[in-house]
Order: sequence, then C-alpha cells, then structure tokens
Amino acid sequence: MNTEPTTLLQGTLDLLILKSLIAGQMHGLGISRRIQQITGGTFVVKPGSLFPALHRMEEEGWISSFWGESENNRRAKYYRLTKAGQKQLEVETKRWGRISWAIGQALEAS
Amino acid sequence: MPLFVKARSFLRNLFLSRRAEVDLDQEVHAHLEMLTEENIRAGMRPQQARRAARIELGGIEQVKEQVRQTRTGNWLPSVISDCRYGLRQLRRNPGFTAVAVLTLALGIGANTAIFSVVDAVLLRPLPFEAPSRLIAIHEGIPKMGYPKMGFSPPDLAIFAREQKSFSAIGAFRNKPVNISGRDEPERVMAARVSSSLFPMLGVEPMLGRTFASDEDTPGHNVVLLSYGLWQRRYGGVSSILGETIDIDRQPYTVVGVMRQNFDFPLPGPDDNGSPADLWVPMAFLPAELQGWGGSYLTSVVGRLRPGITLEQMRGSTEPLVREVLASYPAALTKTFRAAELNISAFPFQEDVVGSVRTLLLVLMAAVSFVLLIACANIATLLVSRAATRQREIAVRTALGATRLRLVRQMLTESLLLALGGGTLGFLLAFLARNFILALVPSSIPLPRHVSLHAGVFAFAVGTSILTAVLFGLAPAFRLSLTATEVHLQESGRSATLSRSHHRLQGVFVTVEFALAFVLLIGAGLLIRSFGKLLETKPGFRPDSVLTLNIPLPHEAYPQEAQIRSFYRQLLDRVSTSPGVQSVGLSNDLPLNAREMVSMAIEGRGDAESETPQAICQSWVMGNYFQTMGIPLLQGRWFAPQDRVESQPVTIVSLAAARKFWPRENAIGKHIRWGVKAPWQTIVGIVGDVSQGPLNTPVAPHVYRPYSQLPGPFLEVDPFGDWHAMNLAVRAQANPAKLTSAVVADVHSLDPNLAVASIRTMTEVISSSFAGPEFNMVMLGALAGLALFLSAVGVYGVLAYVVTQQTHEIGVRMALGARRHDVLRLILGRGARLAGIGAGCGLAAALALTHLMKGLLYGVSAIDPPTFATVIALLTFIALLASYIPARRATRVDPTVALRCE
Repeated sequence: MNTEPTTLLQGTLDLLILKSLIAGQMHGLGISRRIQQITGGTFVVKPGSLFPALHRMEEEGWISSFWGESENNRRAKYYRLTKAGQKQLEVETKRWGRISWAIGQALEAS
Repeated sequence: MPLFVKARSFLRNLFLSRRAEVDLDQEVHAHLEMLTEENIRAGMRPQQARRAARIELGGIEQVKEQVRQTRTGNWLPSVISDCRYGLRQLRRNPGFTAVAVLTLALGIGANTAIFSVVDAVLLRPLPFEAPSRLIAIHEGIPKMGYPKMGFSPPDLAIFAREQKSFSAIGAFRNKPVNISGRDEPERVMAARVSSSLFPMLGVEPMLGRTFASDEDTPGHNVVLLSYGLWQRRYGGVSSILGETIDIDRQPYTVVGVMRQNFDFPLPGPDDNGSPADLWVPMAFLPAELQGWGGSYLTSVVGRLRPGITLEQMRGSTEPLVREVLASYPAALTKTFRAAELNISAFPFQEDVVGSVRTLLLVLMAAVSFVLLIACANIATLLVSRAATRQREIAVRTALGATRLRLVRQMLTESLLLALGGGTLGFLLAFLARNFILALVPSSIPLPRHVSLHAGVFAFAVGTSILTAVLFGLAPAFRLSLTATEVHLQESGRSATLSRSHHRLQGVFVTVEFALAFVLLIGAGLLIRSFGKLLETKPGFRPDSVLTLNIPLPHEAYPQEAQIRSFYRQLLDRVSTSPGVQSVGLSNDLPLNAREMVSMAIEGRGDAESETPQAICQSWVMGNYFQTMGIPLLQGRWFAPQDRVESQPVTIVSLAAARKFWPRENAIGKHIRWGVKAPWQTIVGIVGDVSQGPLNTPVAPHVYRPYSQLPGPFLEVDPFGDWHAMNLAVRAQANPAKLTSAVVADVHSLDPNLAVASIRTMTEVISSSFAGPEFNMVMLGALAGLALFLSAVGVYGVLAYVVTQQTHEIGVRMALGARRHDVLRLILGRGARLAGIGAGCGLAAALALTHLMKGLLYGVSAIDPPTFATVIALLTFIALLASYIPARRATRVDPTVALRCE
C-alpha cells in the first residue's frame, strides 16, 4: 500500500467518488475502500478529505444521503448518485480525459 | 436547479445547523466504529484496533471542522461566531477595549472632520455647470512686483473681443455699497458682474431673471438680491420683483433673487473674494474704460471652447498681450512692455482654493499621522496581549482551527475595535464639526458649514477598516505563527517568541516616534513663525485707536466742495468730542493698504523708458500720523498751507527713502505719477507701517495730503476709494467706548450715512494674527497628541519587556549587576527606539517640511533651532516614559524573580 500522501486535484477526488458510487449506494468507509481498490492502492482518501468532499457534493446535489444499516447491522450514512451526479460524472470524465491527454502530451514533449 | 439546491443547503445550514451537527457527529463516530471493526477483523486486539482507527481518522473534531468549512454559507455562522467570540474577548479586557476604542474614536473622528472640509473645499467640484472647463484669467506685471492681478477695464474689453479660446467670458468685482430707504441705512457687500457671468456659470435665479446684455452699460440700474438679504431686509416676499431699492442713494430695480446658499464671488482669493449680498451689472464707465495702466482689479473667468485645452489657451496669449499693449497710450506702452505685462490662466477651482490648500493638506497629513500613531499603539498592545493568548491559540489549533481561520478571528476582533472606534469617531465629527469650523478665524476662507454626506461616511468606514488591517494584521500573523510553534505542554514562556514580539513592538514604537517627530517639527516651525510674527513691529501704536469707514455715496456728494467740506466738518466735530485725543482721516488703514501707483523719480534718466516703481499711496487728512502713532523721522508733517493750488508735497516712508535714495537725503527730492503730473516735493520721512498681512515684507509707501487730491479725481472717482475715507480716533481711554459718540457725530452731519468697519486697531492687529495662530494651535495640538501617544507607546512596550524579562533581570542582578546597570539597560532600550524613530523622522521631516513653506514666516523649513529643540524634547519624553518601567526593573528582587520561574 502506498502511504505517500498523494495530493489530489479537487476535481479528481470528486471524479473518484462519483465513479465509485456508480456501483451503487455506499457509506463513507466503503467509498474510501472502493477508491483504494479501483486505483490499485495509489490513492488513500483520508476521512479529513473524504467527508468534506461528500458533504460538498451533497450540497451541489450530485449525491444524496440517507441513514441505513451496514454489513454488520450498524447504523451508517449511505450515499448514492443522483441524476445530476450522473451528468456530472460524464462531464468530469470528459474533462479528465482532456487533462490526462494534455498532461501526457506535455510529459512526452519534455 | 443548482441554484435551488445551493439555496436549500444554505437555509438548512443556517436554520437546521443543530440537526446537521448531530448528523455529522454520528456519521464520523460510525465511521470510526467501522474502521475499528475492520482492524479487529484484520486481527488486531480491540485496544490496538481503536488506536489505529483514530490515527487513520485523524481526530474527530478536526474532521468535523473541515466538513463545516465546506458547507454552503459556512462563512455566515462562522463570522457571527467570530464576532461573538471577539466581543467576548474584548469584554474580558474592558480597560484595553476602552483605551483602544477611545483612541481610535479620536483618531478616526479627527480624520473624518478634516476630511469633510477637504472634501467640501478641494475635492468637490465648484457648484457650476461643467466646472472643469472654467478658467481664471489674470494679468500680471512681474517687473513691478505684481505677477498675478485682475484685469484693468480697457484690457478686459480688448481681451474679450480678441480672444478665441473661450466660448464665454465673465467678469466680477467686489464693491461695498450703502443700501438705504425702508430701514436703517446699511453697508453691504455688492459685486459688479458682467451680464455674461451667470449664464456662463450656468446659474439660474430663484425668482425673476439675471442681467440682459444691454443692461451691461451705464445707466441701467438693475439689481439681483441674494437669498439672505431678500429674507433679512425685504421680508422674503416675491412682490419685491420690479420694486426699487436705493443703492448708494440711486434707485435700482430688483429684477431677480438668487437661490439660497448661492455664494458668489467664491470666498478664497485675496481680491474679489467676498460673497456678495447683491449684484449689479458691471457696466464699466467711460472713465474706467480709459484707465490704461491701472486698476487691475477685475476678476475674470472664462469657459474654454470645446476641444481647446488650457495649454493651448496659454500658448495663445502672446498676440493678445501685444494687442493690449498697443491699445495703451504710447508712453505707457513702452513702460508696460518693459514691465513684461502678461496674461496667465489657471483652473478656476485651483485659483479659488489656492490659499487654503496647503493648510488643509498639512492638517490632513497631521491627523492621519496621529491616526497611524494610534494604530501603532494599539498594535503594540495587541502584540503584548497575544503573548498571553498563546495557550488559547494552541488549544484552538489543536481543535482544528486553520491558520487562516485564526488570522480571521484576530482580524475580526481588530475590526470590531475599529468599527466601534469609527462609529464613535463619526459621531464625534458629526457633533463637533460646526463647532470646530466656528473656531476658524474669518481670515481663513473656509466654509462655515459642511455637510457629512455619504462620501464622508464612506471615508469614515473605509478608514476604520483600513486602521483595523493596519493595527491588526501584524499581531494576527505573529500570533498565528506562534500557533505552529507552541505546544500545549509548554509553560507558555518562550524566550525566542518574546524576542520576536519585542522586535515587532520595537518597529511600531520606532514608527510612532518617526511620525511624532515630523509632526513636532511642523508644529515647531509654526510656533517659531508665530513668534516672529508677534515680534514684527506693525509700525504704529494700535492701542486706544478706533477706526470707522465713512463712505460718501457719489450720487449724494457729486461735487468736490461737498466732499471736502463734509470730511473737514467731521474732523472738527469729532476732535472736540470728549475723550478724543486726536483724529485723522486716511483712504487706507495700516494692515489693509490697497492703493498702488507707479511713480517716477526726478533726475533718474528718461522716465518713459524706465520701469515705473510701484508704490503704496495713501491720502491723509487731519492728524492722521499722530493719531496712528506713526513717528516722523525727518522733515515736517503736512500743514494747512498744503492746498490744491500750492506746491504738491509728499511724505515718504523710511523703506521708500532707503530704497530710492540709499545714499542721499530724500527730503527735497521730487517724484511724480507717470509722465505728465506735476512734480511733488518730499517734505518728510515717517516710519514704516505694515500694509498687511503682517507676514509680508513692508513695501515702500508715500503719503499725500487729501487737500491736494485734484478735484476732478475726487468728482469722477469711479472706484469710490477717495469717497470712503477712514476716520481714525485716538481715545484718552478705552477707544470702543467712543463708538456711539463718533457715529452720532457722523449722523449729525448726514443722518442717512452708513458707517462701516467699526474696529479698534487692536482688533485689526489681533485679527491679522488669527490665521497663523489658528494654524499653530491646530498643528500644535495634533503634535502634542502624537507625542503623548508615542510616549504611551514606548512606556507600554518597556513595561511589557520588564515583566517578560523579570527572570533575566533577576539573573543579572544575582550575578552582580547593580541597579544603575539595570536602569541603563531599560533606559537604553527606550532611548534606542526613540533614537531610531527620531532619525527616520528627521529624514522624513527634511523631505516634507518644505511643502508647508506657504504657512511659515521668518523661518526656513529646515530651521536648525526648531530641529534641535524637537530632538531634545523627543529624547526627554522618551527617557521619561522609559524611566517608570526602568525603575520598576531595578526593584526586582533577584530571589523572588528566580523563584517565580
């Protein structure tokens, strides 16, 4: 596991959260673990970054939250993607595609 | 849609914050539990698992704080809580808060008050249509010592006809007149204005109309009334239009009334600077239009044609000057060409406010210096307080406050202080403004009422915010910096930290002393100037002299014989009044001499080719010199045998004798006006009398007997100068008590005469001191305040240093330092701070004081005695302020000091 603190662009964290919620509703820890999994352990999202992002995105209307039962019958707050969130995911994906292409070009050029 | 979501979130955060808090708390705790369970499943023991989970979470409160910060509208509750917290902090230190708020209230109040005057006088455009296009135009004859004057009537006629730069030209001239009929006769200020003036300024009357262009010729007796005169004397009824009123005993038809608060001429310039009670057409007389080479007294304003700049206009004056010179009689053309007659132009506003600009800017600078010093003082207090707040800051940091948040909190407190001070200051300025303006002597042309409008309010608010940033920012950053260095466990005293605090405070105190130094120099220079002014000998004995102006209306006294006989009888009658010692008449009084002539000297080459000598001239009658106490140095007084038909005689002043006959005796020499008048014999030399103002050098002066004033001059007298003689009465006791008796004497000769300007010469003298005295007192008070605040500043810092270093001092004393070593240590620190400050202030003062040259008299802007005195004073005050904490330091008991750690 990579423990180096990797600085995430704000948009990147949003994108990763939206992406991980595609699979269905999830609580905070689940999202954190899911991101770790889909990035092959590159990004570890600490609660200090995760929760502010979740609350901000909820205020943006991209995700909605509700209280539910966890796998261990524990009360936990779940998040799911809204319609606006799905649209945002498309936007972010396109934007990310452009950025990563541009960064790739820049790295090759040097 | 997103807007709706945002608004919903905002409202929820605002009104359901408690539920959101509970929700957040549960969510984070649930997260922690799940992390712990995950760790247990991975094989950790419960306690270990909990610990690891906490480490991964990174602190419940910190996470919650970070979430709060992302919330929509999070600024609002946090600002409110900052304010609430700040108010609590301020309430906890009522002494500090009171001192800070009061200091700021004084500083901001003074700034607001001065700014409101600066705004009204310098910043607000003149109350006319498109005022930036209005240009004041002057003639000048620099070689005769008059670089900037008004226009003479014939020159104005040519200029107005030939110039191409202006779309309109207006002219005006003050003239005191008598109004009679209805009520008591009254002396009021009038202005003759050209018919083009008011339309050019874009000024409309409230009632009736302004002057038509065909009324701008002699014989059209029409008058415009000011609102004040209309209300006061004519009951404010609109039926006044079309009625006739008597002005200098001639009937004038009222054609209009100007609106309220319309001041014209604008107060400010020395000539034609008195707002008029009524206006009459300029209507130059034929005699005036032929008065070449004299009477440059008419003020002229023009409106630039569209597309023409002031520079272009200035460049176009040369042919106009040639044209004007060509119109003079041949003999005068040569002399005025030699005297370099010119035409100059300035923006009208600059022309009007020129005389008070320096004073206002100096005062504005002074009050802002005082405010800066107050800011520095509060900043040092805040830094001292910051030291005691380190633990609090550490706690807040531990609970997740970011550095930015801490700075914001500190700045919020500063802002609360500043806004408190600002509100109080604005109230002070509001209550005190007219009181302060009433203190301004009449010789300083400032408005007597200013309005505190939105602009001034914005200035007060802006100043408050700026001061908060000024005094709050450095301590806030310093404090937030300590947050990253201080640990909770630490006892709270850290040598390195207090060192950096001291350094910061040292900077503040240095700045204070530098600013105070500059202010003290400014005040010192004004005090020295005033001292020189008081030493100035006016050249006459002002005590026990009463003066009255007795103008004879031309229309009632058209003949030479009537005028002479009136003044002759008046002298006789007053001189026999009880309590009168002597009495005389003159057309000009000391400190207020206006008449100038150009003079030629016999035997000094060809008078036509020489530059004429401009010289002051007065016409005197009776025992004028004896009454005024002007000493005869040589020769004789005027005598009854000096009559119109006898040899013209003159008495010259010492300055004239020294200037024109430096190595000869002036008695018996001959002078004359211009080229054709008969020669006059000098029969006496008298002492110099200041023509005023007192802070200008005394000019050469000639006196002529009124009995030799040629009859035709007396009868034409278009300017009224020789009809309006001043009676001077020397009393045996209190001169003011003679007033009613003298006025009764005047009225026994002519009951319809108005008597004006009744003043004792002592009053005249003190009113001529009033302007410089006001400047001195204002700047002196501000400098004193600055010095006091700086002393408080250095005291505060040293007192703080001593408390902080009790331990160090104790060690020093335990190691054998004696009391005077400790005393020297603390005093030395105070002296060093003051010394560096004074050094910076010295440099600043040397660079700045020349800007106030216009306010100085008899001292240079870098007057060494003033600088030396200020340095000594500042050092003394700094040492005095340092002495109290230093003495406290010497009382430190080493054993107690060492134990207190």
